[in-house]
Amino acid sequence: MDIPAKNKWILVIFSALSGFINGFLGGGGGVIVVALLLTVVKLNQKNAQATALLVILPLTVVSAVVYLIRGSVDWVPTLWVTLGVVVGGILGALLLSKLKSNVAKIIFAVVLIAGGIKMLF
Amino acid sequence: MQIFLLVLFGFLSGIIGGMGMGGGTLLVPLLSFLDLEQKTIQAINLVSFIPMCCVALGFHAKNKLIKKSGIWWIIIPALIAAVGGAFCADIAGNKILRLCFAVFLIGVGIWQLIVAIKFIVDSKKQGNLKVECNPALTDSILPLDKSQKNK
Repeated sequence: MDIPAKNKWILVIFSALSGFINGFLGGGGGVIVVALLLTVVKLNQKNAQATALLVILPLTVVSAVVYLIRGSVDWVPTLWVTLGVVVGGILGALLLSKLKSNVAKIIFAVVLIAGGIKMLF
Repeated sequence: MQIFLLVLFGFLSGIIGGMGMGGGTLLVPLLSFLDLEQKTIQAINLVSFIPMCCVALGFHAKNKLIKKSGIWWIIIPALIAAVGGAFCADIAGNKILRLCFAVFLIGVGIWQLIVAIKFIVDSKKQGNLKVECNPALTDSILPLDKSQKNK
């Protein structure tokens, strides 16, 4: 994959933005990384979504270490959520190879907007 | 009840996260329904994402969906900025973090909605073009033309 020099700068700037958001908000950087992989690196949807996980993993590890050092991790709820996330993650990974519809994305977008509005009040 | 909700919210966001659609963006608002501080929610989101991500990556690698070429142009700047972001989160108060996350969610949601609708509209347009230029239809017409010429 040859990336033109101009695009490399776009990647660097927006990757830094995604990293900052992921560290500051404890997540959400993946959305920007997927968009970068789709528009700048020109990967297809499935490859972009799968590759984004590889990008986000190290960011999440370093951010989690900072949160841990600063005493923000409450282990009891974390372990219960992790149990659900791992089982759901396996199902999600299996579903990705069969994902065909954009309807799921529209539903997800509406849920995000509703979640954001709920968090505002 | 709290444990059931924690596992359920984790499961739902895990499905989205495993698909690489941004499970964290779903888990944080879901956990905000529970009596937890914003920083704690964000820490839960980060820590719980790590094992799920490893498992999901294993599946995606097996399906050869991961493209590593040129990926360091994304990982290195993101990694440095992530450390800065995490320290800024420690300085910021829970209310500010919650407000920032809410604004971010609404922005991402609107953007995702626009992209998905645009993709559906474009797909339908391409579908119509395919029908107009469908070789199968052209082939079925050609023999008819030949037979008409013979007549």
